[in-house]
Amino acid sequence: MNLLVYCWLVFKSSLFSFSGLGNLPMLYADLLNLGWATEQQFAEALTISKISPGPTGLWVICLSYLIAGLPGALLSVIAISIPPLLALLLARVYQRIGQHHAMRGFIHGMALGAVGIFLVAMAEVWHSSGVHLASVVMVIASVLLALSRLLHPVVILALAAVVAVVWS
Amino acid sequence: MGEQQERSKQIDPGLFALFGAWFLIGIQSFGGGATTLLLIQRSVVERHGWFSDEAYTRDFAISQITPGINILALTLLLGWRLRGLAGGFTALVGLLLPSVTITLGLTAGYAQVRTLAVVQTALHGAIPATVGLSLVLAASMARPFLRESYQMSHSMLLFSVALLVGSSLLMGLWNVPVVVVLLGAGLVSGLVFWFTLPESREGPAA
Repeated sequence: MNLLVYCWLVFKSSLFSFSGLGNLPMLYADLLNLGWATEQQFAEALTISKISPGPTGLWVICLSYLIAGLPGALLSVIAISIPPLLALLLARVYQRIGQHHAMRGFIHGMALGAVGIFLVAMAEVWHSSGVHLASVVMVIASVLLALSRLLHPVVILALAAVVAVVWS
Repeated sequence: MGEQQERSKQIDPGLFALFGAWFLIGIQSFGGGATTLLLIQRSVVERHGWFSDEAYTRDFAISQITPGINILALTLLLGWRLRGLAGGFTALVGLLLPSVTITLGLTAGYAQVRTLAVVQTALHGAIPATVGLSLVLAASMARPFLRESYQMSHSMLLFSVALLVGSSLLMGLWNVPVVVVLLGAGLVSGLVFWFTLPESREGPAA
């Protein structure tokens, strides 16, 4: 396996995706074709990323560590840090024409659209882990706890995990 | 936007303060993107007051149409607004240093415990809680834009709600790609703003 080619594949899949898991399909196809990774390694990387901190997109760092070791993981950090630089360019474009009604409306629509998409993604996450009475109670409880500002989000997550273990 | 930048410059966080804020986010953000976003919003908007709700959501929208991991784009963008390129990279390194280190440590350790039933059960509890936290975050992201359209007119508010629900449906029911939904919602809304808002609102408004 060529480390530089591997990093190019990580970079390419990141450049053509717009969310943390959006790079998965392209990378999955590329790496399995080359025989550089197995389905098992993808599944492991996704599971680990669920309990680790940071954006969901860091799942690719887990994968890189599993199949290319520490050097691969560190090079991947660089590879996934480059596409976000384009945000600075987009922000400049916005700054120049941002006061125009059409541009304000464009951002307005995109921001609300982003919230809509975010809700769908969360619905899918919820669906994948099972929608039943216990999980509904858990969702409502965590909404109330978050609104109350009494507990840090990480504490709410930890509490939920403990409750699930005790309950089962 | 100019007003926002002036406000930011007055507060003028140093690079160390910037690094510290994002380091804290990076080290606490267990639970994926939703937790990370909630922590970023609470840190830069509520705790430090570096950004208004509206400016934050606007940058969030820009990060959504940026290729790659949106949270990294948001981090770069927010850091850049405060301290230029150095600020952007400081924020990015601050976020990634702890989270990547812990992620790598867990990758090595997780292989040992992944078959334990208790780990799987705990995950099943943590996921609904993540969903709950995300709902709170979604409400705070939509609030400034819904309030703005409510102040314009009732039909504008209805239009905004339709944009939100419509985007959910397009993606959830018909699997339309995210980029298409976002650009579509932006174009429709841009045209509506352009043709319905009176000329006098141009300039000082925003």
